[in-house]
Amino acid sequence: MKSFILTITLFFCSQLLFAQVTINLIVSNRPPVNLSEWVAKKEVVTLIINNIAQGVQRRVKIKTTVKTTDGTEVSVTDLNLAPVITLPDGNTVLNASTVYPLEIQKFNGTYQRSLQRAGKLPADNYQFCVQLVNSVDFAPVTNEVCKIFFVAALQLPILMMPQNGQQLDIQKAKTAITFRWTPLMPRPQGPVGYRLQVFEVLAGQQPVQALRSNQPVLDKIVNNQTQFIWQPQLGFITDASQDSATVSTLPLNRFIWTIQTIENNSVITEGSNEGRSEPLQFSVGKTLAEELRKKKNTKD
Amino acid sequence: MPKLKAKIILVVLAMICIVIQLQAQKKKPISITGNAGITYEGYGLNRNPTGFTGYQQRRPWNQVRFNFMPTIKFSKNFSLPMNFNFAAIPTNFAGPYAGLKKPTFGQFLTNPMNNFGLNPTYKWAEFQLGTQYLKYSDLSTGDIGIFGAGFSLKPGDYRFKFFTGVSQQGVNYSLAPAIPGAYKRTHYMFSIGKEREKDYLVAFNFSKGKDIVNSLSPVYPAAPPQEGFTLSAQVEKTLKKGWYIKTEGANSIYTRNENDAVNPAIKSFKPFIEAKNSTVTDYAAQAQFGKKSKNFDIGLGGKYIGAGFQTTGYPYLQPDRFEYTVNTRFNAWKNKTNVVASLGQRVNNVSNVSLKAKQFIGNLNWFTQFNDAFSLNVSFNNFGFNTNGFTATLIPSIKNVSTDIGVNPTYTWTTKTMSNTISLSYSYSKYNETYTLFPAPPVTQSNNTHTALLSYIPVYLTKDISPDFSVLYFRNDATGAKISFTTLSAGLSLPALKKKLKLRGQLSYTLGKLNSFTPDNNFIASANADYKLNKKLTWTNYLTTNYYKYGNQLGGTFNGANYLESTVRTGLQYKF
Repeated sequence: MKSFILTITLFFCSQLLFAQVTINLIVSNRPPVNLSEWVAKKEVVTLIINNIAQGVQRRVKIKTTVKTTDGTEVSVTDLNLAPVITLPDGNTVLNASTVYPLEIQKFNGTYQRSLQRAGKLPADNYQFCVQLVNSVDFAPVTNEVCKIFFVAALQLPILMMPQNGQQLDIQKAKTAITFRWTPLMPRPQGPVGYRLQVFEVLAGQQPVQALRSNQPVLDKIVNNQTQFIWQPQLGFITDASQDSATVSTLPLNRFIWTIQTIENNSVITEGSNEGRSEPLQFSVGKTLAEELRKKKNTKD
Repeated sequence: MPKLKAKIILVVLAMICIVIQLQAQKKKPISITGNAGITYEGYGLNRNPTGFTGYQQRRPWNQVRFNFMPTIKFSKNFSLPMNFNFAAIPTNFAGPYAGLKKPTFGQFLTNPMNNFGLNPTYKWAEFQLGTQYLKYSDLSTGDIGIFGAGFSLKPGDYRFKFFTGVSQQGVNYSLAPAIPGAYKRTHYMFSIGKEREKDYLVAFNFSKGKDIVNSLSPVYPAAPPQEGFTLSAQVEKTLKKGWYIKTEGANSIYTRNENDAVNPAIKSFKPFIEAKNSTVTDYAAQAQFGKKSKNFDIGLGGKYIGAGFQTTGYPYLQPDRFEYTVNTRFNAWKNKTNVVASLGQRVNNVSNVSLKAKQFIGNLNWFTQFNDAFSLNVSFNNFGFNTNGFTATLIPSIKNVSTDIGVNPTYTWTTKTMSNTISLSYSYSKYNETYTLFPAPPVTQSNNTHTALLSYIPVYLTKDISPDFSVLYFRNDATGAKISFTTLSAGLSLPALKKKLKLRGQLSYTLGKLNSFTPDNNFIASANADYKLNKKLTWTNYLTTNYYKYGNQLGGTFNGANYLESTVRTGLQYKF
């Protein structure tokens, strides 16, 4: 009988406690794919704790669990390492730096490997669940509140055409050069800008050096399309006797091109440097006339 | 700054030592090869009417470039190659110095547009001072110029390399003028191995790059300071009968934000790097196997880059992919036929952190010289891209297919005084982009291009004058836009003033048409004149001017807008 009364009392006490602390959780539905970036972005996770204990300070820990939509556990807070939070009266607003510090999360199996190798979770829908627990015995102080989010790493465009090292026909290149690339993946709902940049490689320069130091001869934002036809309007003059080591005023007709991807007016910083795709080189070949002159000079 | 000054003083001292040593020897005359020069480039752009900004400046208004690249050979065993190649005005648009107009002396020295390199070499010992672009391997380091000091020692078959320096100085972030900013980045690299040229190579490469956290004020908001450490192992072997194998495996440990908390759950590699919340460790590997001979090549290559593989030596490397290709080249029919072909596939998102995407790539080029008069070149290129979407999150599936076919016959006939070549080239390019978001039907955007080019090149056997003429027609039919260009062009090359002056010129006129708008007109004239002042000194000149006049496609007051763009380069080049 005594134990029954004790149980009933404890039940009512816990209900009372639950009623005195409530939580409201807001989670971005498309948070950054790198989990380590969550702490720096306040908008990713917002936890509002309402403590109506009227002068009584509560000491709690935050238990955060990330699960797949079928309930499989991805990570859970190591409560032994979690910091104790003393709740004042009224509202306390916390974000990911307190709710989801990575260094105290325990990841399971494949998710641990994915995090260590890529810093990301596999592309999928997940649940982000938060519960406050007592700082001493980890007994629940609030119900668990969950919100669903989706992560998929962005893949920057891959440059396709002109191919790396391709030599273009000079007569055709004088009029038009066609660039093609793969789209940003996954394709966002909003518009995507592909900033196509072509840099001329000057004498004595390495291709990536040219990219990092020269003014681009083409700098064009192409919206949503993955092809652009460029009219170079460059005076392609060639000299069959010229080689890349020769310093001359003649252009070498060597180029390096890249795409910088822009989403919602911001450069995508995920993945490669400055949101730029891995650049490719191409050149504009000698004219047939130059080749024939060279042949003639060789015979002479 | 004081450190940089110290480095410069060291370099100067080293040069003085060399001169002293040189005077002391006085045994053999010194030989100098290479070149030196100065080039001025001027650019002009006039746009009409006032307020028309549809065409942007694409070169610096004025630029002066210096090059001083001699190799001084003191003796059979001792040489001093120099590479001083720099420009007066910074023009960086990408990378750490983008937007920087007033660099400090240290920023000037390490700006990628400038090279200040010295490589004194004594027998098998090469010392590397100043700006160096060192490629240790494909997966460790190779794309970045570093200002510093190091060596490459090759005693016998052994290889020891070391280099340390700075690839970028700290650049403070600024909104106006727009400067994205960058942390100062230091590098260390080391390689040890054994190599016999055309036989084998075994090497272990280590490279480390680290941003200096307190090198900026204010802190760069868009990208945090980073640190990376990469190890790689290379094995290459050339076998008998032209067979070869090349392999490399690498492991990178990369911290994307040095300000993150230390995370003991992630494996560190102390003392080189300590793991933090944003530290990732991943692998990359590549292998090539094949045979090369005079008339037949075949090769099989594969490359895997893990999702978290990142190295400061290749800042633009795209991770998370696996690709393989089969290449071949062969000559047939008494070497009159040459075929080059490749076939491959690339898979993105091997790690499953994004949507799986596959690309197929196939290329074929077939050239046949039927006789002295007639040859034919046929080419075929294809690539496809395919990825499945996520219907639940409104991410569409995408399928892109690009197919290019080209045919190029060339006919030559010769008389007593001249040979005439006529060449016709036709190519068709088809590009379809299909989006599917179930249950909506697929939406396909087509983009098809026809290009036809006819060239005529007379070569005078008894005269030095060499003209050429061509006409090109280009038409692109895309969803909602039809573009066509017709280009007439002519070129001329001739020597003058007892062959002291080499002249080349090009004229081209293009009539461009977009949908039903009135045509655009474009006229480009280019000329080059190299005048040999004496045996060693050449005065070089290059001029190109581009006039473009729009039809009525721009609408309103900009109908008929036009611009005149000119570039002139003139310089003196001295050949040692």
